[in-house]
Amino acid sequence: MKKVKIIAGISWAFLCLIMIIILFPGLNSFSVSVSKLPFMKLNPKYSGGEIAKQMITASCTLDIRKPVFNGFFKERNSGFVQLDWHGTIPETIKDSIDYDNDGNKDFCVLIDRKDSKTVLSPFNKKVKGVIISTPTSYGWAVRVGLDKN
Amino acid sequence: MDNVLEKTGMKKSFGKSLLYTLPMFLITFMFMTGGKPNFSDPASALAVLTVFLLVNVLYFFMHYTGKTDRYRAVLFIIFALSLSYTLIHNMLEVRKSMSFSQADILECKIPFCHLVIPMMILPAVFTKSIIFPGSIIGGFANISSMVVLWLIATIVLGRGFCSWGCFYGGWDDGFSRIRKKPVIKKISELWRWMPFAVLIMVALTSALALMPTYCSWICPFKAVTEFEQVTSVESATKAGIFLSLFGGLVIALPVMTRKRTQCSFLCPMGAVNTLANKITPFTVKIDKNSCNECFKCVEVCPLYALTPADIKAGKVSLFCSKCGKCVDACPKKAINYGIRGIPAGTMKNFSRNLFLFVSFLFMAIFSAGSIISTFHGLLKLIF
Ligand code: SF4
Ligand code: SF4
Repeated sequence: MKKVKIIAGISWAFLCLIMIIILFPGLNSFSVSVSKLPFMKLNPKYSGGEIAKQMITASCTLDIRKPVFNGFFKERNSGFVQLDWHGTIPETIKDSIDYDNDGNKDFCVLIDRKDSKTVLSPFNKKVKGVIISTPTSYGWAVRVGLDKN
Repeated sequence: MDNVLEKTGMKKSFGKSLLYTLPMFLITFMFMTGGKPNFSDPASALAVLTVFLLVNVLYFFMHYTGKTDRYRAVLFIIFALSLSYTLIHNMLEVRKSMSFSQADILECKIPFCHLVIPMMILPAVFTKSIIFPGSIIGGFANISSMVVLWLIATIVLGRGFCSWGCFYGGWDDGFSRIRKKPVIKKISELWRWMPFAVLIMVALTSALALMPTYCSWICPFKAVTEFEQVTSVESATKAGIFLSLFGGLVIALPVMTRKRTQCSFLCPMGAVNTLANKITPFTVKIDKNSCNECFKCVEVCPLYALTPADIKAGKVSLFCSKCGKCVDACPKKAINYGIRGIPAGTMKNFSRNLFLFVSFLFMAIFSAGSIISTFHGLLKLIF
């Protein structure tokens, strides 16, 4: 029994040695495999949610994402919708948004990029206010706070 | 003393030490140069050469002198300093500030670090998603490669990760060495369970808030890496907490106790790594027949991993990070590196050689990139 334990211990130690030796040369391919695991995707709270629709104008595109109400056990009552403007963005952005696709505009957002000022005009009582409005590497992004009910 | 070391075989002759260093020399050469040294940029060639020599000289001395901790600590501390330097330097160059902006968060550009892992497990299981604004794959410090690195290192080294792999541990390790004698001598060993309480608290709160709460509110290392821009009372409070914890647990207490207090009392990853000590093949063992219960090892252990009761029972606790400080300090050479299954006091040389090769190789390669870029940056500053 003592011998078996010694052999098992030494074998495990050598296996660990091999793991460390192949870890760095294989890091890229191991990481790619790990990135494909089903849970390896960013929570919508961080990714901003899936793109629900796009509004394309001559110079820029506005991505309207799906509203995010994610919670650990169940959806929360408060969440946000993220808007991303790409391309050549005018100095002043003014867009009216129907985030829930009911055919009615829910809010209008007015952004003065020079002064970094954002004004939100809600037309729906579920729209709460601006959470984030910021320039990004691709253009501009805004998160608008929402209530679910 | 030399005789004792010779007798136990830990100290090797010059030639034998060189021979033991050869595999490390060849592997680190391949990793640092890709097999083809590039001399086109003299500053980077010099930086690579310096780090390559540093790593191999340290490893050589571990064999030649039979001592472990002092040489391990040199690289471990340089790793911590250089990682902070590289990160801050990148932040200042790219963003002109040590803080990240709301855009960086929205665009998921925050570098990922292993301390987030315990907080992302529950959300990954229950919501099938990652609660961190970083990159899943590609880019600097992406989530997938950090998970792979930490996972393999922790399976192989257990809590040894905390003395041979973690790029934060070198901070309190360094400060714990500043004074020769501790000012505060007695801290109840019960405190070593604190990281488990922190782990449970941050794992639950992170799951409920879908946000890594330790990173957002507690992590002392935000003070030497990057943190949120101070734009509100909330962000100012967070910055205050980060700086106070860094000042208290990473600087002041380690200086006064000569212990790694942040790692011993706060870090949730330390708790996870402690549990991983159950699976790693590498351990530290006490040979009861040689031990005279002088408790020198208890005194020097920086992680409260040894108590007089542990020594009497002849067992090193699960909190051990395999730093080697107790092994170096024991006047009877009764405490040694070991391998699971091999009885204490036997095959000491074989166990130490194998452990040192595995753990030092991991640290050398993992740390090389940031140390080289730090040296390169410093050389460019000087010349
Ligand atoms: S306890 Fe935490 S900070 Fe300290 S070395 Fe371990 S993982 Fe790093
Ligand atoms: S028991 Fe020894 S090897 Fe383990 S952490 Fe303490 S001093 Fe380091």
